[in-house]
Amino acid sequence: MLRLIVLKRVKPIPFSGVLIPVVSLVAGILLSTVILYVLAGIPPLGIFNSIKESFVAPTVVKDTLILTLVGISLVIAFTGAIWNIGSEGQIHMGMMFTTWVALFSALSTMPLWAKIVSVLGAAVFGFMWAAIAGFLRAYTKVDEVPVTLMMNYIAYYILDILVYGPWKGKRTYGYIRTDEIAEPLRFQQLTVFNIKTTATWEALILVIIVFILTWVLLRYTTLGLRIRILGSNPDILKSAGISVPLTIVLALAISGLVSGIVGAAYVLGDTYRLSYPLEEHTANYGYLGILVAWLSMLDLRGVPIAAYIVSALRNTGTVIQIAGLGGVGTMFVFIGSVLLTYSIVRIFSEYTIKIVVRR
Amino acid sequence: MAAIAQSNKIFSSSSPPKEEEPIVIIKNITKRFPGVIALDKVSMDIRRGEVHALLGENGAGKSTLVKILYGIYTPDEGEIIVEGKYVKIHDPMDAIKLGIIMVSQSPQLIDSLTVAENIILGLQKYGILAPVSRVEEYIRKASKEVGIKVDPRVKVWHLSYTQKQLVEILRAILLGAKVLLLDEAITYLPLEEKRKFYKFIRAFADKGGSVVLITHKIYEAMDVADRITVLRLGRVVGTVDRNKVSIEDVRKMMFGERSAEITYERLPTSKPEPRTVLEVKDLWVIGDFGEYAVKGASLEVKAGEVVGIAGVAGNGQKELIQAIVGIRKVDKGRVKILGTDVTNKGTKYVRKLGVGYIPDIPTRYGVSLDNSVEENIAILPTFTKFYINWGKIREITMKLIKEYKIKTPDTRTPVKLLSGGNIMKVLVSRELTVATKLLVAYNPTRALDEATAIKVRKIIKEKAMKERVGVLFASEDLDEVFQLSDKILVINSGKIVGVFEAEKAKREEVEKLMVM
Repeated sequence: MLRLIVLKRVKPIPFSGVLIPVVSLVAGILLSTVILYVLAGIPPLGIFNSIKESFVAPTVVKDTLILTLVGISLVIAFTGAIWNIGSEGQIHMGMMFTTWVALFSALSTMPLWAKIVSVLGAAVFGFMWAAIAGFLRAYTKVDEVPVTLMMNYIAYYILDILVYGPWKGKRTYGYIRTDEIAEPLRFQQLTVFNIKTTATWEALILVIIVFILTWVLLRYTTLGLRIRILGSNPDILKSAGISVPLTIVLALAISGLVSGIVGAAYVLGDTYRLSYPLEEHTANYGYLGILVAWLSMLDLRGVPIAAYIVSALRNTGTVIQIAGLGGVGTMFVFIGSVLLTYSIVRIFSEYTIKIVVRR
Repeated sequence: MAAIAQSNKIFSSSSPPKEEEPIVIIKNITKRFPGVIALDKVSMDIRRGEVHALLGENGAGKSTLVKILYGIYTPDEGEIIVEGKYVKIHDPMDAIKLGIIMVSQSPQLIDSLTVAENIILGLQKYGILAPVSRVEEYIRKASKEVGIKVDPRVKVWHLSYTQKQLVEILRAILLGAKVLLLDEAITYLPLEEKRKFYKFIRAFADKGGSVVLITHKIYEAMDVADRITVLRLGRVVGTVDRNKVSIEDVRKMMFGERSAEITYERLPTSKPEPRTVLEVKDLWVIGDFGEYAVKGASLEVKAGEVVGIAGVAGNGQKELIQAIVGIRKVDKGRVKILGTDVTNKGTKYVRKLGVGYIPDIPTRYGVSLDNSVEENIAILPTFTKFYINWGKIREITMKLIKEYKIKTPDTRTPVKLLSGGNIMKVLVSRELTVATKLLVAYNPTRALDEATAIKVRKIIKEKAMKERVGVLFASEDLDEVFQLSDKILVINSGKIVGVFEAEKAKREEVEKLMVM
């Protein structure tokens, strides 16, 4: 007689912090290779070469920095078991404020101040945008997953309205988009060992500052401790006399704050303008960041590594296209496959599933 | 289907296998943890068809021993023989294959699934349709047999703790348990429901199953076990036949010389001051099911006074306590602490006045199991400002560990790795530190062994006498109410039905009012 037994693991798997992401990555890449070979006929060797290439491509640095920020943003919320799927929207709110500062405010003639105000204001916009979902979740018990997700579209459309209307540029050759942000206001290109990357100095500095501040927040402040305990046992917060709703709002809003900063870094360091329609021009960093946060196992130290890996996979799409093997869209196969295998591996790491033969 | 057939066999076979050889033999098991020997050459055997109590005070090694049998820990030395074969149990799967299944004090069920789904998840037959209807039928039948209603189609988060524990035990039986390890699984249930479980366990044993009941309560062991093995400081003191020993004998085995300290004599009366620290006036509180759980209760606690609320579980004491500390909404009436009206002002406000709170279900409302000992101390706003000085927190934690003899490898150990008694000590020590004006408690010593429980009661009394802290506690343990209180209130159906000076109170009168 065969029986399938599912049991919660009492003992954690040793080295699960490293094992789980590595196994899901390898399995995910193998799975995508099979899918791409069977459905699109792309030779596996070509895929492996493309992956190898994309890990050392100079373009990977830019994505790594940006995705590290998004990863940190999501780790903050996920640590409190608050599922922020709205990083995209929070990023776009940051982009909105930054574009306004750089193109339309009086600050556009003072580069340094424009950059500083852009980053700070983008942070505030991300914070507020996420706080809306936070309030709904905390005080009216509306699930944050659909709310944050739907608010991404609200953010896209608000920007669409602006770009189509009042912000439409004068020198756009018929495209519906804003003018380009002036050269002095842009972030400065980062060079590593004389290799020019597409990343920027300012993004690097932001990553370092945000990383340290988040580390301090989660490890050394009562708010951080509350967010961590919110993720494991909110009931004890209640009996300790700590407001659970407020902790929820802050966990989500601070997560949004970091995502907002991403918006500033993205506009000033990459696109230099907004193009209509935004939902089609997005780099999807907000969604890619979810994979980064999960692969980091919600450990801040793992975020940059996870960000690097996800960036490489993202760039594989481009490499495959350049090599003439397929389209950029193949990157979604990689990302999706790894998320899938990750979920499966997580289930196996938390439950033992065995087939028992019994007579 | 096989599982159900099997379990039915356990319940229905008229002739249990009569074999002389014990089903499990444990030989010279030693287990060391950094700095401590948890088990030192422990040997015992478990017979077929017996209820075997494993008794010992907090930290005696009971939990470690059953966790070895269940494959959560592996022993450093020693052997385990199951049904005549030497076995190595590396993880719970090995144990389950051998028919050894553990049920612990904290339910492991998945909240978002129904009772039946939870059980089926554990025993789904490979491939073919899952026998939902049969499982549901079995649960209904068994739940009727035990006398605790469980609807198999209800999602687990709706269940009470008692119901969850029943589901856990049924699940273990359906998995084909031959040896059921109950690690304080029923210790924390209200007495009446506990008795229902005793009968059920007895029926399981009568049909040939073996039960190992891990407990720190002598009465529990004496009530239900056939044999009792006593552990102390990681060693077996002895295995005795329940019918051949007295409670005093067992207590001596359990505590050694310290058994002399165990007495249920009343602690000295603490003379209250005229100052009122807590005043509750005509309080009405709504319970979990939308009905009034507290119906117009009034009471007063003076500075330095210990007031105990006696009552059968479920008569509104939980709701009363929760309403006082601000966790539950007050519908009508007022709560005043130190003269300030705190009615519906929230726990934060109440806590700021210097109120300690020992809640019902400590592992849920008292500590966060996944977090470390020091984090569980630091979470109270009393100990930290915005920036956490971990050095200072560690100091406080070390002090509490020393003072209350909390057994933990270090301050960074997750609380879930401690034994039940030590988890309770973390909570009690923290709350006693915080309570500078008032302590509000529900079953303040329930996970503690007798010696530790008495010590905690002494500390509470001392706080009242020396620091003039007012204390209000509710307890289902009448011994505790009589030993600790200066004033005894009796609660019944949400109303205070009797007030006694503890010195003059008669047990029979209190009991009569409790069940009236």
